[in-house]
Amino acid sequence: MNIRRLFAVWSAKLIKTACQITGRQGVTLAGKIALSIYPPILKELASEVKKDIFVVCGTNGKTTTNNLLASVLEANNCSVVCNRTGSNMLNGVVSAFVLNARANGHLRADYACIEIDEASTVRVFPHFKPDYMVLTNLFRDQLDRYGEIDTTMNLLSRAMKMAPDMKLLVNADDSLSTFLAMDNDNAYTTYGISEQVYQEQDSREIREGRFCKRCGEKMEYNFYHYSQLGDYHCSKCGFARPVPQFDGSHIDMSDGLSFDVGDFHVKANYRGFYNIYNILAVYGAASLAGIPLDSFNRILGDYTPQFGRNELFEIDGTRVMLNLAKNPAGFNQNIGAVMTDTAPKDIIILINDNSQDGTDVSWLWDVDFDRLKDANAASITVSGIRCQDMRLRLKYVDIPSTLEPDIEKAILSKLKSGTKNLYLLVNYTGLYTTHNILKKMEGRKS
Amino acid sequence: MKITIGHLYPDLLNLYGDRGNIQCMKKRCQWRGIEAETVEFQLEDNIDFSALDIVLLGGGSDREQMLVCDRLRSIQKDFKDYVEDNGVVIAVCGGYQLLGHYYDTDDGRIEGLSLVDLYTEQGSPRLIDNIVLENHKFSLPIVGFENHGGRTYIGDNEPFGKVLYGNGNNGEDKAEGVLYKNVVGTYLHGPLLPKNPHICDYLIANALERKYGKAELAPLDDSQEIEANRYIYDRFVTKQ
Repeated sequence: MNIRRLFAVWSAKLIKTACQITGRQGVTLAGKIALSIYPPILKELASEVKKDIFVVCGTNGKTTTNNLLASVLEANNCSVVCNRTGSNMLNGVVSAFVLNARANGHLRADYACIEIDEASTVRVFPHFKPDYMVLTNLFRDQLDRYGEIDTTMNLLSRAMKMAPDMKLLVNADDSLSTFLAMDNDNAYTTYGISEQVYQEQDSREIREGRFCKRCGEKMEYNFYHYSQLGDYHCSKCGFARPVPQFDGSHIDMSDGLSFDVGDFHVKANYRGFYNIYNILAVYGAASLAGIPLDSFNRILGDYTPQFGRNELFEIDGTRVMLNLAKNPAGFNQNIGAVMTDTAPKDIIILINDNSQDGTDVSWLWDVDFDRLKDANAASITVSGIRCQDMRLRLKYVDIPSTLEPDIEKAILSKLKSGTKNLYLLVNYTGLYTTHNILKKMEGRKS
Repeated sequence: MKITIGHLYPDLLNLYGDRGNIQCMKKRCQWRGIEAETVEFQLEDNIDFSALDIVLLGGGSDREQMLVCDRLRSIQKDFKDYVEDNGVVIAVCGGYQLLGHYYDTDDGRIEGLSLVDLYTEQGSPRLIDNIVLENHKFSLPIVGFENHGGRTYIGDNEPFGKVLYGNGNNGEDKAEGVLYKNVVGTYLHGPLLPKNPHICDYLIANALERKYGKAELAPLDDSQEIEANRYIYDRFVTKQ
């Protein structure tokens, strides 16, 4: 046994525990320390995974897809390494492995399910080559940090070339993802939704990839689901949506989500059209790896989502739903989910501009906030560091809002005199604070 | 009274919330009882500049700018006539670069419209930050966000503002953007206009004056806009 490796594992575990005691997260720090003590640690631990390593990439849906997949594998009595908290850069990935290692410095795991920030793939892949990559979608996100979407696609393309044996599972409805799959030599499979679900097609949503990535011609669409996701083809070069192997059909969203994949009927008490994609991706990945899926619906039912994914609280008679919304595509989907509830409601929107959120908040103007006019909202409060920008955003679609930079005060005010039905839409760095405030309030009342 | 806003190639040039600039111009007209219409032009469309009062040219990725620049050559003369005839133009980020003679990138030269005597060269690193300008022409500071790899040089032209915080045209000469006749070229997005109502009104007033010979804009309640502008100024300039 290599002493340095052992030391790295123990140090990481110690740091994690110390951080937990002092109330900090500590996940990425543990990984960073372990990697600096023993640089080959990730490579060696990853090689001890007995069966497959899955990585999940894509702008939206990474955490839900990855964690659900891990739950499916665990329900089949497999042990799984998973970065559940969503720490998805190199240090976070190292942490997931190191903190799963046993005291002897070795790993006992059948599978690994690892979500990776798209830009970090090229830093992680030198350490291990995954067996599968699930690519959920590619949307505009944090231009100040990631640059243009073309930059992200180039990085993913490089990562794919670094792992030529890695099989891809991509969203057939996203022309950017399928272009990447077709443009590289990796074997690929697709999932998607071939039937038109929304009759209305005239949304002003910003759609990436209006022009064919292969030849530059304007792409034609038979229909859109949301953003650029839909049924597309290029009449000039023939680039077109592939027929998905895992095809969601008979979509019914009137009571949770219900749809078919081949002969299998999925029923889940989830909200939001985007969750159909998340579920299809998990179903597809598990099928490719040969995992039995008889109890898939039960696993979906038992799954506890991470913070801020349709997270429900009950505080003093008020039903509170917390949702993370951090880019235009995600925000538009979340607004759609809020609007499926026709009852009177209060809405609080929190916008921060810390580096993890993106310091550029211009994306707020790419979100279709005007739809909130029809959301039966008794009040809308804007909060967070950039609440002023958010208030202006709403003003210019004639929606009045109340300014309260302090999120705790904003919540208290609505608990005291609100509709008893409160929705919170927050971006990234506001999520943990808001979650903790709500948890504390829930505990105090009950 | 009525103004027509031409939005050039929104399918390709739409990176930094340019929709907000359009929305802001429209609303500030409508609130004053001025009719405002937006016409979106796609690459294949013909543009009749004589029917336009304000032209918005937004920002796109380098690749998309390349697609646009081929097309721009065919409208160059009409666009130039419009500018020389005091037509109002607001050009942001990539659109600002396209106003000039060229943008030299690592992948080759993107030819510009040569509407204004300026040019851009690719530099490193990208200049990404909040930004605050002052220009004594205007009552308020100008605030926004910049994110550009290009370094722009405007020669003897008048800049849009002097940089109080941030990088500006090239990170060297403390100048940001350009003012030429009724053209505003700038790297500021965020988008530019909602937090800078004075700039929005400047564009609208210039358009009305050109069209009707006279423009007096009724005052609006801008307390929220001014507060948002003030927040950025205080955070990055006062408290530095």
